[in-house]
Amino acid sequence: MTGSTVPASRVPSLATGAKAGAERGRRGGSASQREPGQFLFSPWHLVLIPIAIAMLVPMVWMLATSLETLNETRHFPPIILPHTLRPANYSDVLTQAPFARWFVNTMIVTVVTVAGNLLFCSLAGYAFARIKFFGREVVFVLILATLMIPFQVVMIPTFIIVKDLGMINTLYALIVPNLAGAFGIFLLRQFFRTLPVELEEAARIDGASRLSVLFKIVLPLSGPALATLAVITFLWTWNDFLWPLITIYTPNNMTLQLGLATFEGTHQTSFNLLMAANVMSMLPVLLLFFLAQRYFIRGIATSGLKG
Amino acid sequence: MAEVAFENVSKEFPGGTFAVDDLTLSIGDGEFLILVGPSGCGKTTALRLIAGLEKPTAGTIRIGAEAVNGVSPRDRDIAMVFQNYALYPHMTVQKNLAFGLRERRTPRRETDRRVREISAILSLDELLKRRPAQLSGGQRQRVAMGRALVREPKVFLLDEPLSNLDAKLRVQMRAELKRLHRRLGITTVYVTHDQVEAMTLADRIVVMSGGKALQIGAPQEVFSRPANLFVAGFIGSPAMNLLRGRAAPAPDGIWETKITAGQLCFERAGVPGGEVVVGIRPESLVPGGAELTGPSLDLEIELVEPLGELALVHGTVAGTAARSGAEEEEAILLDETSRAPVTALFSASLQPRSGDRVQVGVDPARIYLFDAATGEAIRP
Amino acid sequence: MTAASAAASRKRGRRIRRILQSDHLSGWAFAFPAVFLIFVFGIVPLIWSALLSFQQTNLISPPHWIGLANFRALSHDQLFRQSVAHSLVYTALFVPISVAGGLFTAIALNRKIRGVRFYRTAVFVPVILSTIATAIMFLWLLDPNFGLVNFLLGEIGLGPYGFFDSATGALYSIVGMTVWGWLGFDVIVYLAALQGIPPTLVEAAEIDGARTWGMFRNITLPLLGPATLFLVVWSSINALQLFDEVYFLTKGGPGTATYVVVYYLYSLAFNQGVAGYAAAIAYVLLVAILSLTLVQLWVGKRLVYYAS
Repeated sequence: MTGSTVPASRVPSLATGAKAGAERGRRGGSASQREPGQFLFSPWHLVLIPIAIAMLVPMVWMLATSLETLNETRHFPPIILPHTLRPANYSDVLTQAPFARWFVNTMIVTVVTVAGNLLFCSLAGYAFARIKFFGREVVFVLILATLMIPFQVVMIPTFIIVKDLGMINTLYALIVPNLAGAFGIFLLRQFFRTLPVELEEAARIDGASRLSVLFKIVLPLSGPALATLAVITFLWTWNDFLWPLITIYTPNNMTLQLGLATFEGTHQTSFNLLMAANVMSMLPVLLLFFLAQRYFIRGIATSGLKG
Repeated sequence: MAEVAFENVSKEFPGGTFAVDDLTLSIGDGEFLILVGPSGCGKTTALRLIAGLEKPTAGTIRIGAEAVNGVSPRDRDIAMVFQNYALYPHMTVQKNLAFGLRERRTPRRETDRRVREISAILSLDELLKRRPAQLSGGQRQRVAMGRALVREPKVFLLDEPLSNLDAKLRVQMRAELKRLHRRLGITTVYVTHDQVEAMTLADRIVVMSGGKALQIGAPQEVFSRPANLFVAGFIGSPAMNLLRGRAAPAPDGIWETKITAGQLCFERAGVPGGEVVVGIRPESLVPGGAELTGPSLDLEIELVEPLGELALVHGTVAGTAARSGAEEEEAILLDETSRAPVTALFSASLQPRSGDRVQVGVDPARIYLFDAATGEAIRP
Repeated sequence: MTAASAAASRKRGRRIRRILQSDHLSGWAFAFPAVFLIFVFGIVPLIWSALLSFQQTNLISPPHWIGLANFRALSHDQLFRQSVAHSLVYTALFVPISVAGGLFTAIALNRKIRGVRFYRTAVFVPVILSTIATAIMFLWLLDPNFGLVNFLLGEIGLGPYGFFDSATGALYSIVGMTVWGWLGFDVIVYLAALQGIPPTLVEAAEIDGARTWGMFRNITLPLLGPATLFLVVWSSINALQLFDEVYFLTKGGPGTATYVVVYYLYSLAFNQGVAGYAAAIAYVLLVAILSLTLVQLWVGKRLVYYAS
């Protein structure tokens, strides 16, 4: 499914603080007990362990397969732990397909899109938050409205526009339409409004221009919101499939997701190579996730707690 | 209705702090007991121990002579009013009141009857169909109490229920609470940091600090016979004046020991020699001139706060101040000379003014003495 | 005040007024890049799409107007009807399963037990994987010949199943796969909402006598209302837009078993050169999504309590 993002509001704290929710008084305690230490084994583990297994098994299986030889993949019953490790699968992927190009393409598109969003959405978000200008309310509502529109409705005309601008089959087609998104504007506007306006007023009286106030006062205080936007935009751009599918057709210009799809087409039965390719495609996002978990979760949770 | 007892109860938190330290206390059936003390003294924890929201790390808690240590809150037949009321925001007042009864499978007719009864007692009839968000602070507080009382619990627990109300409402609700208790007679345990509330509402109060009960007794007794320095400094508003002093044998006087504290000088029997702290309540300092017999002080007035009939006078006397441990913040030293800050209550008709020098006398029988090292009261 | 400081403050006053006067200019200057981009690539295409639905174009040669012909054709289109049915079936399965599953899992994860952070991470990770990456994993996992799932099912005497190759099972396999991929999203939202329930409320309910089920039904679930509404709306919107997995795994097959609206749309515009017709379908989809959202929000308003 392609995801269209939804407005965000205040950022909640997800620290594991107070417990709430259904009671689990099997140990005679109440929901608010703060027992020293943690339960070593609780009945809930019986629920969590199968769920965790179900979540992790596909990835573990993929990883194992990525290191198997072709014959091992065809072995029945399936081999869980490969006898012979074949890391050459990974280099094979790189030689049998322009995988490195795909990676670089995707990285370029993603980084530029993230940078663009951070810049343009900061500017616009700040304007909507703090500057009273003609038509502000109307334009903001229009922008919000675009969040509700599924991509498929606009994709055909957007394709035509991009084609008429001569950007088809180039990375520009992937970057330009997504350089600024309504989600980012909304997220940052809401965040900026929570900052004390007195700081900005003091700076302006001191002589700073609006631009200076934004870059020297407001943005430095907006770390979490910017990080959240960056991480969410990164994820969305890296994983995008439909738009690259319809705008790029030359293998060398493809992004990772698109390339993977075509790779599967040509290497349908080489599951070991396919899995190796898959693993490699996931690494940047997984890395980012483990480094910036907090911001991923915040970004998702904020969309969920809007009024 | 039931008695409540703490038997050597302690609650230790990881890290070694004792929120409640070896507390032994028995609360009589139908009694209104108030736990009072500064924030962090353990009073709320003690209340939550009765409720079963915390489990003691040592000792036994009894409700109605039964040990309830392992019993969950819902089975203890207690009811509680939280500081922020904790009303179910998505239910109407009526459903809020009925919730506990419905959860206990009380038949519909009985539930309705009891809800109507409580609603009448607490004047909630017009509010029954509203949601908590549509109520004022005072109304929410009454609903919270109603929800607790409708279950006719054995013990009624209140955690600072009046602290979120504005001053006028607070005074009103205090009287309501007292009336309610007299009418229903449920054993009530009430927590507050406001000693005025404690004094006006309680049958007995427990002054707590650092997890320990420093004194247990009827309000008047705790006020006039504080057991130690902390209680003396905590109970009574404005706070008791405290001066450092020495007790020394006075072989040629009427009583054996002569106590000096700055300018103050008097004699008393049965006081061991050594460092002492002298305590005088502001209302015990009587201004006067030559007609003063007995111990007196020269008070230099710095600041006068008019209180209508009375005036609160802040000034200094010769001597060194002592601390009770019950002070809210670091006392601001008025100046560095060897003078101690003192407050007194004068009649406003005397028109005290800043800068005046007044002689104040005190009845020696109304002077409190405490051991400077232990803080314990020294009583003849 | 001296004469010099009076002059300085007057100058400041002028300066402040000057700053304030150019607000419209600076406001637009700041907002322009983003607004322009959204206008060109969001608003304009939206309107254009409406126009396109009344045209016929193959995206290469100039379009020509055909009035309501596209919409009339829609009402006879068998494949369209099938696509709609499949999309609805998918949505009707995906939304309840993932939302309820997310709630259950969030409750399980909302406690201080050993290793809870590990379990939470395990549940979150699938959310960040791309649709293609997930599809590739499951393509292999559910392989009819060598996949792990068929092997395990065989061990307990079931299967083997064709999964994506089976006309009856393909759609359900996609349901299972996408639930796997999105469960973590629901968990994140629900976890945040659960942790937003004031603990004193739970304590009060406990003292009032609520037992496990009573607590859940009367306290937890109602207070999770807003989160549930959001997830239902959000999941429905996304479910109706199902595409990537269908394109990659089944291309709408076997036969037309997994034809969903967006896949049909795509195929019409970019494989068959019938972009006007596709635009018409896209608009029908838009109307459907908006209507569904409005209905859900309306229902939500009546059932969901919002804490003030």
